[in-house]
Amino acid sequence: MRGTELIVVMCTVILIVAVTTAVIMGITAYTPGPEVRPLAKFYLENCLNLWNRAYWAASPEAVCSMLWDYRGIDTLYETTVFFLAIIGGVTVFRLIEVTPPLESLSEKIRRVLGLSVIVRTISKIVASIILIVAVAIAAHGHLTPGGGFQAGAAISVAPLMIIIALSRYFLEERKLTKERMLALRTVGLLTIWCTVIIPLIFALVGQVVYAMQNQAKPWTTFPGFPTGQLSTWIAGSLFIYNMAEFVAVGAGFTLLFLLLSLPEEVFREFMRRLTRK
Amino acid sequence: MSMLEFTLLMYCYAALIAVLAISLYGLVRRPNILKKIICLSIFGDTANTLIIFLGFRTRNPIPPIVPTLTPTKSLMMEFTRRAVDPVPQCLVLTAIVINMAVLMFLIFLAIQIYRHYGTLDVRKVARLRG
Repeated sequence: MRGTELIVVMCTVILIVAVTTAVIMGITAYTPGPEVRPLAKFYLENCLNLWNRAYWAASPEAVCSMLWDYRGIDTLYETTVFFLAIIGGVTVFRLIEVTPPLESLSEKIRRVLGLSVIVRTISKIVASIILIVAVAIAAHGHLTPGGGFQAGAAISVAPLMIIIALSRYFLEERKLTKERMLALRTVGLLTIWCTVIIPLIFALVGQVVYAMQNQAKPWTTFPGFPTGQLSTWIAGSLFIYNMAEFVAVGAGFTLLFLLLSLPEEVFREFMRRLTRK
Repeated sequence: MSMLEFTLLMYCYAALIAVLAISLYGLVRRPNILKKIICLSIFGDTANTLIIFLGFRTRNPIPPIVPTLTPTKSLMMEFTRRAVDPVPQCLVLTAIVINMAVLMFLIFLAIQIYRHYGTLDVRKVARLRG
């Protein structure tokens, strides 16, 4: 038994070392040096190139402009994969209907459910601060580090904290139910897809455009999304994508946390009813 | 690159690879599903860190964000010369969020397995035959 275990360990180590060495040294022939690859240099040069606007994304942040402009289609489908992963989670719980089982729920939330008064008060304050910070991260995603994905991950901490400190019925009482979160999630994804399709509407009238085009190019006739003024720079479609992704990711994770925090009795009752039928 | 810098870089690579190996071992050898999920998340995060690390550059690196909306030409040239590689960061950004969603899905499955079989041990689950 010890022998086989040792062999497994050795094989694992050798596999990992070989694969990583191949990736680091062999394929890319690259160790950290003073220069980046030509592809990265292109993105760095062109993300806010005010003098030659053929390839610019109108965003000072290279990562965001790559994410939603240069490699936009890639991110679009990654968002769809994320949507499907959440749908998978929902499917596992598809038959269970949760109705708030308690009478005079708000009274009960205040008295019985959740943690002590100190924790509950502090959680409410911190949760509201998290909401503000998350919106700021999403709205400045095209100017500073951050964006839709990060803001969505940040905002999903707030419902998680509220579920622990105040019970999930606090959220359900405020109409943050499973169905609404699913609807919000879908609205976010639909907004992204609609923004992708907007340039293609111009193609119907005979203009030359690309799908998911952000700024005007010399060889297309699409005028491009507005970049905004210096005080309110929205970087064309990047702002819309970031906000929509923020809604989608935040609602998606809230949905998962709501499902994850279902009380065990609800399941037991459900299973009992299922076997009785 | 000085000798110290090179040693530090190699140390970072070695540490990341060691964590990868340990997490893969846990993924294969631990019978508990919950421990498998923990190892999987460590494995994914270490892989992401390794990818980010490939974008590092040694000459006074700065983040890949232009500090102003009205840059001069010399500022843009210096930015291009010094900024770290944004390509791996962009790649990892979406991978992290999708990892998180897949992780939640696996946790859901683990919960369902526990409810149905009363155990999270894969050997016992295999013996129960549904």
